[in-house]
Order: sequence, then C-alpha cells, then structure tokens
Amino acid sequence: MLAIPVVIGVSIIVFSLVRLIPGDPARAMAGVNATPDFIEAIRVRHALDQPIPVQYARFVVRFLQGDLGNSIFSGRPVTTEIGERFPRTLILATIALVIATTLGVTAGIISATRRNSLFDNASMLVALVGVAAPVFWMALMLQLLFAVQLRMLPATGIGTIRHLVLPSITLGTASAALMARITRSSMLDVLRQDFITTARAKGLDERLVIYKHALKNALIPVVTVLGLQFGILLGGAVLTETVFAWPGVGRLLVDAILRRDYPVVQGTVMLLALLFVLINLVVDIIYAFLDPRIHYLSGRGE
Amino acid sequence: MKRIVFTLVATLIVLGLVACGPQAADTAAVRDTLTIAIGAEPESLDPVKMTSAPAATVGEHVVERLIYMEEDGTLTPMLATSWSANADSTVWTFEIRQGVTFHDGAPLNAEAVRANLARFVDPEVGAAYRFLLGSVQDIQATGEYTLQITLAQPFAPILSHLSHSFIGIVSPNQISDLAADGTFEIPVGTGPYVMERWSRGDSIRMSVNADYWGPIPQIPNLVFNFIPEESARIVALETGEADAIMAVPPQDVARLQQNPDIDVVFQTTVRTIYISFNNIREPFTDQRVRHALNYAIDKQAIVDSIFEGNAFVADAPIVDAVFGHTTVGPYEFNPDRARELLAEAGFPNGFDMVLHHPTGRYPLDATVAQAVQSMLADVGVNATLETREWSAYLQFTSQPPDRAEYDSFMLGWGTVTLDADYGLFALLHTRQWNPNGNNRGFYSNPRVDELLDAARIETNPDRRRTMYHEAVDLIWDDAPWIFLYNAGQINAVRSNVQGLIHHPLENLSAWAASFR
Repeated sequence: MLAIPVVIGVSIIVFSLVRLIPGDPARAMAGVNATPDFIEAIRVRHALDQPIPVQYARFVVRFLQGDLGNSIFSGRPVTTEIGERFPRTLILATIALVIATTLGVTAGIISATRRNSLFDNASMLVALVGVAAPVFWMALMLQLLFAVQLRMLPATGIGTIRHLVLPSITLGTASAALMARITRSSMLDVLRQDFITTARAKGLDERLVIYKHALKNALIPVVTVLGLQFGILLGGAVLTETVFAWPGVGRLLVDAILRRDYPVVQGTVMLLALLFVLINLVVDIIYAFLDPRIHYLSGRGE
Repeated sequence: MKRIVFTLVATLIVLGLVACGPQAADTAAVRDTLTIAIGAEPESLDPVKMTSAPAATVGEHVVERLIYMEEDGTLTPMLATSWSANADSTVWTFEIRQGVTFHDGAPLNAEAVRANLARFVDPEVGAAYRFLLGSVQDIQATGEYTLQITLAQPFAPILSHLSHSFIGIVSPNQISDLAADGTFEIPVGTGPYVMERWSRGDSIRMSVNADYWGPIPQIPNLVFNFIPEESARIVALETGEADAIMAVPPQDVARLQQNPDIDVVFQTTVRTIYISFNNIREPFTDQRVRHALNYAIDKQAIVDSIFEGNAFVADAPIVDAVFGHTTVGPYEFNPDRARELLAEAGFPNGFDMVLHHPTGRYPLDATVAQAVQSMLADVGVNATLETREWSAYLQFTSQPPDRAEYDSFMLGWGTVTLDADYGLFALLHTRQWNPNGNNRGFYSNPRVDELLDAARIETNPDRRRTMYHEAVDLIWDDAPWIFLYNAGQINAVRSNVQGLIHHPLENLSAWAASFR
C-alpha cells in the first residue's frame, strides 16, 4: 500500500524535473531554425503555456483514464510509443536476468563451497571485473569479437534470436557478477551456522547439506537483489540499447529527455516506477516462500 | 561440483549453437536489399512535421517536391516540368508533370499540389518550416496541370525554397480529411520507393515503385536502420549488416580505409561553422578586437589536424556553392598582428572571455573549441570553455539582447537552399536579433540590412549577386564572427555498392544505386 504514495511522489518529481531542465521541445526539434511562431505553437498545442500545477492536474486526470498524452516529437500517443518498445526491453531484461542468475548463482555456490580455491579466486576476480567494467566498453568488445572478427552474431538491430545474444550478455554481465558475489557471501554466512554443522554431524550427504539446507537459506538476500536487478535491468538498459541499436524503452527515455519530449519522459518514468513497485511486491511474496519465519502454511521449515 | 560446471558449460554451448546458426543470407548471390544506417530516427515523414536531416534523407525516397536541387545546386524539374514568372516576379506559374500517380493510385495534378502547399503554409497546421513559403499569398490550381503561386512581394529565392526536402507532395487522399493538427505515419508520395513499414526505433522499410515516372531503381528493397551510436554504425558496416552509413567520425576514417571492402566517401556540405561574438558586449564592440581574434586562429591547422583535411577554411560567411558567395578571406593566421591589434584596442595583456560551445552536435566541435582556446591563449586572450547539452545550448543562445549572458558561442549554419538569403538574412540582419530570428550575436550594419532587404526582392540575378557580394564584403570586414571552416561530411559504403548520391545537403540517396 506504500505503492500509492511512491507512485504519486514519482509523478510529481518527474513532472517538475523535466520542466526544470533548460531548453524546450520546439528548439530541440527545429534546432537553430525554430521560429518564434513555431516555439509558441508547440507550447500552446501541448499546454506548456499553462501554469505547471494546471499542467500537472491535466496529466493526472488523463493518467487515471489511461491516457499519457501525445509525444511532442512524433505526435503519436505515448502509450503507443511505449507499447511498441516495452516488449523489446522486457525480452532483453528477462534473458539478461536469466543469464545473470544462472551464471551468478552457480559461480557463487561453487566459490562458497570451495572457498579460496583457484576457481573461487578466479571467479571472484572475473566478477570484480564484471561489476567494474563499463557496459559501453563491454558491448563494444563483444561486438568487435563476435560480430566483426568471428562473424558469428549480428552487431546491431532486432529481429531474430541471434540479435538477442550480445545485448543480453552485455546487460546480464554486471548483474551476474553482482549475483555471484552476493550468493557467495550469503552462502558463506549460512555455511558457518550451527544447523549446517548439525546437518553435517548427523552424516547428511554434503550435496544435500549444500543444496537443501544451505542454499535455500542463502537465497533470501539473492532473491531480494534479483528483484532489484530486474527493475534496474528494465530501466537501465539505456547504454546497452544504444550500442546495439536495440529499440527499447531505455533509448526511448534518453531520446525523449534530449528532445525535451515531456509527455514521453513522464510516461516512461511512470511505467518504470510502477514496474519497480510491482516487482518489489512479487519479491516480497517470494521472500515469504523462502523464509520460514514469514511462512505459516507448511511445516517444511527447517 | 563437476556436474554443475558441466551443466553450465553445456548450457552455454547449446545457447551458443542456437544463437550462432548459419549467418543470414549476407553473402547470397542475389542481393535485393540495400541497407543504410543513419544516426537518428526521423521525427515524422509527414512533410509539415519534418524538422531534421534524417527525415529529409528517408523522406525524399518516398515523397517528391516540385523542384529538385542537384548536387551542384542546379534546380531541375521534379514534379513541376517547367515554371515561369510574371514581369515583377510576384506570380509564378508551374506546369505539373502529367501521367504521374501516387503510390495509392491517385493521379498527380495541380489540385493535389495546391492542397499540399496550402497545408504547408496553413498557420493552424503550424509547420516548423512554414517560413520557407512565408512570402506566399495565394495558391491556385488554374488548370488540370497548371499551378499558380502568388507572392505578397517578389521573393527571389522562391524556387530554391520550393526545392527544400520538407515541401513534399503527398496523395490528396491522405490529407483531404485531415484535421489541422492531424498527421499520418506512412506517407503516400510519388517517389521511386514505396514506404512499407516503420518499425519505431529500429528501421523503415521501402520497396521499389514499379510505376515510377523516372528511371526505376534497380534495387528492389531499401531499408534505413537507426543506429545512434557511431562505433556501432561502423561495426554494422564492417559486418555487412549495413551497406552504407552516414556521418563517420573523422578519427575512424583511417581504420575504415584499410578495409578493402569499404569505400570512404568525402563530400562537401553547405554548413559553415563559426564562433559568433556577442557584438553588443565589451570588448567585442571594438572591431580591432574582433579582427585580432580572427587573426589569432590557425584555421588551416584545425582543418588539417582535427579534420584530417576533410573540412575547408571559410573564405566567406557562406560556403562557395551558395549563390551570392564571393571569396573575401580567409583572415591569415598572424598572432603578431593579433597582439598588435589587441594592444591598439587597449588590451596589451589580452582579456578574459567565455567561449560557449556544443558538444557532439557537429563533428569534433568540442575539440575545435579546445584548439581555439589554446590559440587564443597564445595572443593573451584567456578563454574559458563552457558547454551545454544541445537543447539547453540553443535556449541559452536565444536570449534577447538585454538577457544574453554570453561573450561568444560556436554554432553552425547550413545554407540548404544554396541561396545567400537563407545564409545571411536569418543570421545577420538586424531585424533577426534574438528572439525574432537567428541573429544571436546581435550584429547590425544598416548597409548590410539594406542590401539583404533589396536582394530579397531583386529579380535580376546579376544585380542580386552584386548586392550579396557587397554584403559579404562588409560582413567580412565587420567580423561579427570568428570565421572558422566549412564542414565536410564523411560517409562509408561497402565496395560492392555503386551509384549512391552523397548530396552536399547531407542527404544520402539510393534511387540510382546498384550492387556490383
């Protein structure tokens, strides 16, 4: 229920922030050729000549009717603009998340169980680099290697599954690295606890100890991070989308900011905020499944 | 644990196999699609909504105008086959090409053209480039194929204005029922290609117009891809995902030239890049200071070392392809002369100033600003660089005289009509001071105003040219700007493609292209 004030807060902040940036949409469109007439016409057509509270009221009334207004740049409904691009970003973020989770959690578990082994050190080093490497650089390196040198994959655009590979790996890498580090430290925490010692002491198979007893408990922080990461991937795919010419909402948002396309900025940020709230809700529910202390329905808790 | 590693590796391999199936038919024998990668997506392809160069490049394959401007600036018939004017050049009569049909089958006639032009000038519609036809008073279809345009007063550059890419003629079916603010996504024109699909953010697809009135293009399909990131555009060309790309950064030219499969194409533009002074602000009110700063800059060094020769030292405030151009410069690079002039003007030790510049709007603009800064430092002028994001930059430099808080700013201007009126009037006429026009540096010379006004309505080309020559001469001597360079453009094309037109107006046209 905290969601409602969050969404209202976001709407007020984004609404005022976009209007605080210097520059105006007509000039962003017609550049040095923007005539005073044209600038005025754009202002009137999009009600930018009204006081900001009035504009905000209009925005809220329309928003509640599911109308986000029209893009100043393209003249098309913002809902259409977002509707066309959102599925593309969703696919990208989902696959990136799958990659990140698979790689990250696996590497994290192995590292934790073989602490200080060669694999542990190597994978944590890779993870460190993965977290630190600029997405932009990563993307270009992958393009140069797989598209230009090896000619295995397309470098830009959309259309086939093959187009998804490089962008989703790029997008997933940083998250994978983060997940690996979180999983590792969380696993190490759990493995140190008494019930693990007990489990081992009663002669349980080591695999059972790791996967059933340790992992399930270690996953709680991982799931929290996973949810946050998904939200970040959805909204933060901007660089990846730019380098790979992937026409998703991230690029839509950045282009809209550069063009001072207020309705599109507002609409996109609102959507992302709503999604973030929604994902957090889902995370809370999953959390309840994982953590026996919030879990009242079954007796399967350890 | 081994099992986990194994599963992991196996998953990756499977993923890899799925992903890396045989490369699409890139190297197939018959190529039927030409792909051009451009840096930005058009805002719209509705002529009254168009504002950008990408829109012009994509749009002119689908929608045509009355008159076409050749690469050398010659105006040739397109949808109008001939034109003539009355004695005082206020009534222009255009014969419209017969036997042309729009992509939807509607016939092209004078009425269709009238409806389009009327829409373009309608204040309710609010086209950003309505000023191009600002002198038009009335448009009539006086016959099935005869169109008459009446001007409020003679306007000499009217023909080149009508050749502007944004004054396109679309099917009357498309605009007849449209409200004033109505628009459409897929334009239905008369052009060599028929637009099929606009995948927003990604690409625009077209196929050849089999009923085209001119030479029918050889390549059946044309795709424009939007790839905003420069390096990604280059990668796309190297992999063959794109057959041609626009706007190659100068620093990547050498690398592309080493690739035997790629041709790098250099072309001039009509864009001149300058640093304007705030001419009503001290110390730039002193002509000696303005001259000194012009002498202080080594333009040739900028052209040679920053643009690797692919730009041209400005020898006038307009590029040489423009009607009315005359060579009056450049100011020689002479730091001693600059110091002398500064001393005469009372600044033997120079002064401090702020140089505002855009970043990333024009190729290497920030690098040029840095070079200028160091050259100015050499004559004692301490310039601080300030940059703003483009839209904010435009607003910052659009303030009225009493609120203009800048010493100097760097900007470019493309004289896209190849007529001095477009290049000089808007930038240097006193009536065009901010916020009324584009005279952002508040230059004012009554004689220049007089000449620019007179040349607008003068219909004798020779007398007109003489007027512009005088104006250019005066402007050069007044030196309201640091005259820098005329920008070049760099495109790159796969070697198996021939016949692309790299237009000085920064359009890339594919209707005459073919695969080798």
